[in-house]
Amino acid sequence: MADVWAVRARGVRKRFGAVEALRGLDLDVRAGETVGLLGPNGSGKTTFIRALAGLVRPDAGEIEVFGRSPREAVGSGLIGYMTQAAALYGELSLEENLRFFAQLQGVAEADARIEDALRTVDLLDRRRSVVSTLSGGMRQRASLAAALLHRPRLLLLDEPTVGVDPALRRDFWTHFRTLADQGVAILVSSHVMDEASRCDRLGLIHGGVMLATGSAAELVARAGTPDLESAFLALSEAPATGAKLQ
Amino acid sequence: MSGGRIRAVARRIVAQFRHDRRSIALLVVAPLVVLSLVGALWGSTTQTTVRVVIASDRGPAGAALASAIGSPSDIEVKIATFDEGVAMLRDRTADAVISVGTGGPTVLLEGSDPLRTQSVAGTVQKALLGRAQAAPSIEYLYGGPSYSLLDSLAPVLIAFFAFFFIFLLATVSFLRERTSGTLERLMATPLRRGELVLGYLIGFGFFALLQATLIIAFTVLVLKVQYRGSVVSIFVVEAALVIVAVSLGLLVSAFARNELQAVQFIPIVILPQAFLSGLLVPVEQLSSLLRPLSVIFPLTYANEALRAVMVKGYALGDPLVLRDIGVIALFAVVTVVGAIASIRREVA
Repeated sequence: MADVWAVRARGVRKRFGAVEALRGLDLDVRAGETVGLLGPNGSGKTTFIRALAGLVRPDAGEIEVFGRSPREAVGSGLIGYMTQAAALYGELSLEENLRFFAQLQGVAEADARIEDALRTVDLLDRRRSVVSTLSGGMRQRASLAAALLHRPRLLLLDEPTVGVDPALRRDFWTHFRTLADQGVAILVSSHVMDEASRCDRLGLIHGGVMLATGSAAELVARAGTPDLESAFLALSEAPATGAKLQ
Repeated sequence: MSGGRIRAVARRIVAQFRHDRRSIALLVVAPLVVLSLVGALWGSTTQTTVRVVIASDRGPAGAALASAIGSPSDIEVKIATFDEGVAMLRDRTADAVISVGTGGPTVLLEGSDPLRTQSVAGTVQKALLGRAQAAPSIEYLYGGPSYSLLDSLAPVLIAFFAFFFIFLLATVSFLRERTSGTLERLMATPLRRGELVLGYLIGFGFFALLQATLIIAFTVLVLKVQYRGSVVSIFVVEAALVIVAVSLGLLVSAFARNELQAVQFIPIVILPQAFLSGLLVPVEQLSSLLRPLSVIFPLTYANEALRAVMVKGYALGDPLVLRDIGVIALFAVVTVVGAIASIRREVA
């Protein structure tokens, strides 16, 4: 069976005033694949994810999400986007928040879906809690639940485990694996190397370009370093040698 | 107590504001702007002459009275038919119509603005003193002798409260939406920008109408304010005004980075409207310098429409009222389009 491309991005460029955030970025993500975006702060990870979510219009290049433009993909509920901050309404209960997002996504049988999503992130017993009273980790999980409600086929996760303790991070990755097994494509940005090693494939971003893509093992071999962390440092410090691994 | 620590805190506050040039500008500029407004508003009270029309068709004594009054500095006498006089009273080109019948003179006053009514009545009575055979009886086109300042202010206060509070709440809520990341999340759902703005309009409209209902009930039942028009018309005018208030709030929130900056828009957006929209001083009495400014404020038209309907008993379909509602609707279109565009500005 031919690959179903969740994401096809070619030569994506975006400039914000004097800053060129993306300088011709390429990336493909297959359905059911988990791809990690690795890169230092300000490398363009968030801009790229926002472009995929239809929130940034590239100056040049092409982006297709399941063969459509990002805005169309968002409009038909193909994309679930978990922002860096757990963007929820603090005055509302968890359930009220999820119901609101379910309504925006036009989710049928919202009750069952909300319950599903809350069970997935283990917050079923806190459904009536006002979000501002939840701990940071709980809010992060609630935010993931909100991104999952409409069963998106592409999940965009912008540093989902920042400020999340190791046990919760492990749980998150269990959810991600389950979703990937169901055919959901996942693009996750991160600085955390042990997280990166859980991805099927990694993309190393630096200065708005993709330095290298490949599995963790391939990148380590390519850089000739003992581990992923030093491979990451070696590849991002010597962009000139960072020819693509395919 | 440590002087060093106190100094550190004080120095930090000064340093923080030094980076916030807009706050400093506001601190310095706003009082000057407001004071100049107040100065221009009350420093130069225009239109001190009372414009009196003496009815030529209510008996021959009218002409005699007109020549008896002559032309004192505080009165401008005109002779016209009684009906013409009433028409002039209605468009506020005259302040009093005097008709002299067999039983003595009758003075008809406009009456919708109790302060103005009092001063006009005083001037006219003084002028008639000794010149008419009997003490004048006074009648009112609108309102009456028991008509108080509150009766004339209540309808426009409803508009002001709605505009002020709804603008403030809409600004801060949408600012939170922008800063907390929920706007970003919303824009990554099928929700369209226009739908978001409309939802805000309806949500805040609900609270504005609730507020108006409460104020009307309170003014009628507790404060015993006398309304002449139908209460429904207040809601129509208010609904149009609230659309402006909400969308202006959404628009303004794009220019603020935090809630402190959002609050700074109050003196810019709200205060001039409080002074110049006819709330405190009738628009006709503004100096020629300030009057053109009142034209650009939506509250001016809301005040005029509400006074016409609630104080003077005009129908909602009256051309003047319809024109005012139309102008407010035009403001609404502009601010709604601006609000939608301001969301685009941030989120591609």
